[in-house]
Amino acid sequence: MNVVTRGVKNAVRSPLKSGAIVLMFAISIALILSMLVARGSVLAKINDVKANAGTAITIRPAGVMGDQGGGDPLTAAQIATIKSTTNVSSVTSSLTDQMTTTDTNLTSSLTLGSFGARQQRSTSTTQASTDTTGADTTATATTRPAPTPRISVTGTTDANSVSTTGGTLTISSGAAIDGNSSDNIALVGATLATKNNLTVGSTFTAYGQTITVKGIYTTGNAFQDSGIIMPLATVQTLTDQAGAVSSVSAKVNSSDNVALTVTALKTALGDKADITSEAEQAATSVTSLEGIASLTLAGVIAAAAAGALIILLAMILVVRERRREIGVIKAIGGSNGKVIGQFIVEGLTITVIGAVIGLVFGILVSGPMTTSLVSNSQNSASTSASTTGRGARGGFGGGFASARNQLNTNLTQVTASLTPQIFLAAVGITLLIALLGSAIPAWLTARIRPAEVLRTE
Amino acid sequence: MLTVENVSKTFSTPGGQVQALKDVNLSVKTGEFVSIIGKSGSGKSTLLSILGALDNPSTGSIIVDETEINKLSGGNQTQYRAKKIGFVFQQYNLVPNLTALENVMLALEFGGYPSSSRLDRASQLLASVGIEEDQQQRRPSRLSGGQQQRVSIARALANQPAYILADEPTGNLDSATGKKIFDLLHDLSRSQKTTIIVVTHDLEIAGKTDRTFTLKDGKITTK
Ligand SMILES: Nc1ncnc2c1ncn2[C@@H]1O[C@H](COP(=O)(O)OP(=O)(O)OP(=O)(O)O)[C@@H](O)[C@H]1O
Ligand SMILES: [Mg+2]
Repeated sequence: MNVVTRGVKNAVRSPLKSGAIVLMFAISIALILSMLVARGSVLAKINDVKANAGTAITIRPAGVMGDQGGGDPLTAAQIATIKSTTNVSSVTSSLTDQMTTTDTNLTSSLTLGSFGARQQRSTSTTQASTDTTGADTTATATTRPAPTPRISVTGTTDANSVSTTGGTLTISSGAAIDGNSSDNIALVGATLATKNNLTVGSTFTAYGQTITVKGIYTTGNAFQDSGIIMPLATVQTLTDQAGAVSSVSAKVNSSDNVALTVTALKTALGDKADITSEAEQAATSVTSLEGIASLTLAGVIAAAAAGALIILLAMILVVRERRREIGVIKAIGGSNGKVIGQFIVEGLTITVIGAVIGLVFGILVSGPMTTSLVSNSQNSASTSASTTGRGARGGFGGGFASARNQLNTNLTQVTASLTPQIFLAAVGITLLIALLGSAIPAWLTARIRPAEVLRTE
Repeated sequence: MLTVENVSKTFSTPGGQVQALKDVNLSVKTGEFVSIIGKSGSGKSTLLSILGALDNPSTGSIIVDETEINKLSGGNQTQYRAKKIGFVFQQYNLVPNLTALENVMLALEFGGYPSSSRLDRASQLLASVGIEEDQQQRRPSRLSGGQQQRVSIARALANQPAYILADEPTGNLDSATGKKIFDLLHDLSRSQKTTIIVVTHDLEIAGKTDRTFTLKDGKITTK
């Protein structure tokens, strides 16, 4: 028998009481660990999203999205301004158009479906009413042409900008085209090519000119694969819009400069352009994750405080309960050091058992806990996102909304990972509370006067 | 030789100052068996706790074998209690989750007794006060009051103390058992030359001791 064995023995003296303390302590340790895991994983995800957000800034004429909306396209002067803005490392300009059956001899490989039909009808109606000013309305209705699917044409300085993956455009046959050329050349989407029996070297008519197919591309995206890519200058000439650009994608030299560059561009272009950056979108999309991160930090602190309090109060009660016994030990010659040591060992025994159970439990629950924390908050975030998204009805926000949805899906995929650092942090916090919770009450025993044993209660 | 010189003890309580001992003077010779009697609240326990260095006097001094124990540091007072004093209490005060043997071994540990021979010595001591082998393995709650008091006497004797201080050792026992416990202490004082100071209410017991001090309102009235 010595201080250590007495301490351990006292820890299991009343199994029910010690068991309850162990259990409560274990729960707070499990909470600490799983909160730390959730925090670590969420922070990692935030960094990941921010780091991969890319440095692209999209500049569109104010009020324009895709082929929809109103306003004037961007001018050559504006493009020059964008190019000369500090930190802008490269600029890809594009101009899109939609060819109807009168513009080309090609047949669209898209079927209108109910969605496309509704869109085409609304466009045709507007045209019909302008064309037939003063004419009988019934006549207009009967002359309205049956809706036909259109073929989308993208004129771009960099064909890769059409790639849905953000990387290089996949050319399945032939070769890429030079975006700075002004020749009547084109890359044709695989689906459209098949539909019209086009191969490398074939020609087709567009806007009254003969265009040579230089290559066939595939993106795996049905809309893109039914389109045509041409050099920017070619589309500008064919559609008679010299210098016009409907969308600019500017790359910034470093992700740190994105915000700065966006501000600079907004100042330079004023209200003529709508400017969006991936980084800004990413920053907004991670706000809910940041909320979780601070929530989990608060959780760690609260759980640690609760754990410390549980041990502290339990041990203080134990000391009070054993006042007389402590007095007896001192009366028969036990030193303060031995009594304190015995109580520290007792407190540590309980906390170590609790900590081991808590850590094991924490490892088991940290995964599901992280997932539920993240998905709960993401659900509410995407609900609000889709409500606002509905305002931009009409599908042109298409790319945008789908990018955001993709971002949201990514955000829910936070995998809880228990790194050694997090585990060590949890063990460290646990040890700290265990020591505090045991040492403070043990130290209280020093104040118990041995003379109290002679008092009859 | 134990000498008490001009010892007073004052407690401050929320209700004011309580003077438990007033200028107490006495001396006990080595090997003597003395008793202290007095009404409840007269200061008997207070005096005993000061003799055993469980508490310090407000004024005055206690000299035990040339050492003024009230001047010792806390650590040295603990050593004094461990080696020179054996306590026997009215409520036995055994450590509840330790067996009879372990209770005695605890005192041996504090007295610095080598750990290898603690078990044998504890067992012998318990046997000498009449605790049989199977009773030695029991916890206090499974022993009778008389048996617990025997264990506590064995514990008090563990480090062969020069003094045994007993506060109403028979107070919780029936008269027959009380007499046996008293006889046990009496024999000790004869055989081991241990100085024994016993506080008691029982005048019959007091009558059998070498000397009796009477306390009244914190003062010694007879010698
Ligand atoms: N720690 C203390 N704080 C305050 N007052 C105390 C304290 N210890 C003793 N007293 C007071 O000192 C006086 C003497 O108490 P003490 O315990 O010495 O009496 P006693 O003679 O042992 O009585 P009893 O026969 O009932 O055990 C009493 O009035 C008691 O209330
Ligand atoms: Mg008393």
